[in-house]
Amino acid sequence: MNLTVQKNELIFDYSSGNLGEAKSLFTSMYLYLNRVAAKKSSIFDNILADNLNDLENIVPKNLKYSDCIKGKMESSHKKNNTKDLNPLSSLLGDIKNVKWKSIYKGFKEYSLPIDDKDSIKLIKMEPGTSVPFHSHNGKEYILVLDGSFSDQYGEYNKGDMQINDQKIKHIPTASDKNGCICLSITEKDVVFLGKFGLVLNLFTFIKSFFK
Amino acid sequence: MENTKIIDLVKKISEERDEEAFSQIFDYIAPKINSYFIKNNFNFEQSEELTQDVLSTIWSKANLFNPEKSKFITWSFTIARNKKIDFYRKTKKNDVNEDDIRSFLYPNDDGNDYEIESTINKIKEELDQNQQKLIKMSFFEQKSHKNIAEELEIPLGTVKSRIRTTLNKMQKLLS
Repeated sequence: MNLTVQKNELIFDYSSGNLGEAKSLFTSMYLYLNRVAAKKSSIFDNILADNLNDLENIVPKNLKYSDCIKGKMESSHKKNNTKDLNPLSSLLGDIKNVKWKSIYKGFKEYSLPIDDKDSIKLIKMEPGTSVPFHSHNGKEYILVLDGSFSDQYGEYNKGDMQINDQKIKHIPTASDKNGCICLSITEKDVVFLGKFGLVLNLFTFIKSFFK
Repeated sequence: MENTKIIDLVKKISEERDEEAFSQIFDYIAPKINSYFIKNNFNFEQSEELTQDVLSTIWSKANLFNPEKSKFITWSFTIARNKKIDFYRKTKKNDVNEDDIRSFLYPNDDGNDYEIESTINKIKEELDQNQQKLIKMSFFEQKSHKNIAEELEIPLGTVKSRIRTTLNKMQKLLS
């Protein structure tokens, strides 16, 4: 399945409410950073919403309009333009201040406190840092939040998304200039290949006991 | 209900807290929202509770609706969809006090529903009745492929391949 199809399917699933919390947050961040993706999402929202017009009306039996005006009014009457719309910083505060955990030289990560079957984390790579040659058991989704990275398939800048699966074997390297910060979702642990593969896979295996 | 009429009513709700205007919006949208939840397999009681949540949000957040950019029906749909997800989240976990990430999600209201109308119409014209029905069942009613196969009395593999073909068709129109 090509990458565009997979990205669109993620957007469609987001619109329909099919995604878990981790992927919802991830996709939300993707829409925030990527105008094209946001437009596609709006198109799909509108298509789905139109179905409301065709549904047979079912009048609620035990509900009156007066039951719905008891709640508190929103404090601000006008739109609050100063509100930060960035979903991640609304949740975590400034990303620069998160408590990074160093994994190896030049590579740090931070696991988001979201209880979901998919694991979601922030990854920070210093300029020029690479991830050893690896593949993936399940799918991995990477969204560039800042800076850029490249691998044998291309270069990925802010707002770009990469989706990897078993067929992809790669060595992502952060840009020499700015490094990169990414948001990542892994459905299953990565499988490291190459000479350090055995050690890193063992590390991943041991780590799984402490999750 | 006419779009201009809806816009006028929501404006009255937002600016004047007009309960009569709200009762008209309620009569228009509540039966559709209630029907949406029933289609999504909630029982009557749950559907009415969720409908109440959606309408309460419309009342309390009417000031966030921008008629120049958004269609009321789409705005209401996204509220209903989020309430549905929140319902599942609360049922899944014991600790309901935990922050709901939904409240942090990007509202995606930078776009303009009216500007993308031509693409939406093009997609609707290109998809035949069966394809539109599959999109509706799979993404609007959130039915599993297995349930769709049973309901339409076609093999599961056919459902999967037809949804795939429909999505591919949509992809081409989106790019």
